[in-house]
Amino acid sequence: MIIDMHIHPIYYESICGDPNEEAFRSKAFGVYKQAPYGYEEMFAEMDYAGVDKAALLPLDLTTTEGGAVVTNEQIAKIISEQPDRFIGFASVDPRRKDALEVLDRAFGTLQLKGLKLNPAKQHFFPDDPIMKPIYEKCLEYHKPIIFHAGLSWEPNAVTEYAHPLKFERVAIEYPNLRFCLAHFGWPFVRETVMLMIKYPNVYADTSLLYLDSPEASMKRLFTIDMGPLWADRALAKQIMFASNGPRFRQFKLLRGLKQVEMRDDTRQNIYYRNALAFLGEEDAYD
Amino acid sequence: MTDLHTLSWMSRKPEEFHMITDEVHHIVSESPIKNGIVLVMTAHTTTGIMVNEGLPCVETDIMDTLTRMVPEDNNYMHAHFLPSYGATGNNSVGHIRSMICGNHCIFPVKDGKIICGGAQDIYLVEFDGPQTRKVYIQVMGE
Repeated sequence: MIIDMHIHPIYYESICGDPNEEAFRSKAFGVYKQAPYGYEEMFAEMDYAGVDKAALLPLDLTTTEGGAVVTNEQIAKIISEQPDRFIGFASVDPRRKDALEVLDRAFGTLQLKGLKLNPAKQHFFPDDPIMKPIYEKCLEYHKPIIFHAGLSWEPNAVTEYAHPLKFERVAIEYPNLRFCLAHFGWPFVRETVMLMIKYPNVYADTSLLYLDSPEASMKRLFTIDMGPLWADRALAKQIMFASNGPRFRQFKLLRGLKQVEMRDDTRQNIYYRNALAFLGEEDAYD
Repeated sequence: MTDLHTLSWMSRKPEEFHMITDEVHHIVSESPIKNGIVLVMTAHTTTGIMVNEGLPCVETDIMDTLTRMVPEDNNYMHAHFLPSYGATGNNSVGHIRSMICGNHCIFPVKDGKIICGGAQDIYLVEFDGPQTRKVYIQVMGE
């Protein structure tokens, strides 16, 4: 089994149709020259890659930009249409006055499986006290958080907010809160690893592909930015496969990852077991 | 006088041959234009339009040759983040194979039929799938 833990469904036909909304998504997310596509095309790519499921991520920008790059309700609509292929995440703008109500609805009514936040784009520091009730709400529902970390290509995104070191106080204060520093916090991979070896509730995903081919990018991540045995020795239960579609193509990143030497047990963990554990399945490693 | 049509097809693999001979001949036979030429042109820069013999062994030899000429494992300059797309360009192989293959073909049309050799099949060739692709077919004449 393979699970892709990082997809932005901004061009899924099922939630397209309003030109103004599509233009907002494109501008806020910073992706251009792509057109809506149906499930058949998405599944063709997933099937070719051998990916069974994908986590779909929205982003609530209510107070900073007056909209959302896919709403929680749109994620729930996609999940209702394709429950076997997708895992739905929620998002909330932490500065919304009704942020906790939004999360109650997302986790309770919509049954979404986790929370996506982007400190760089939503302009908050992860260790800011305003985040305390958000984290406690996630703990109440046993939901993990995927944080954007490191470089954010989105316009008006400030990398300082998403530097891996800004997450350490969260890891200390909430040892039972599972959270992922997406993109390995690139380019701050060593800082991300520092947190991972110290805090077992900190995960990272493989969705980074900024300057090389997929093969070279994955090789660099696993053998240069990290030591070639680090994944096997210390991080085998904290790395998740992810592509960051539509910025990077899923099957190409996976092709690069397959060329990286590692123990088969570690590889299977990265492909899906760590994702299941991150999502809260107690028998993920059975 | 011109008569424009669009074919749509979704590939399911990164490289794939898709024969469109019958569709092109059918469009020409139904066109009000009976004498002139027909242009077959892909709408993309990582696909090709190829005229060749429609045999699996020929398809295999052509793709094997293109793969040797344009290998995946090379230091392509296109492999970096593209601000104009908000995505990484990792499809140089597709662009170069498309360039070698060519992006269009033209046939004469006489009395409502394409004039061609018996082995001349028309292919849309995918070099960066899976994706939905379009081909323009324009009949021109009188």
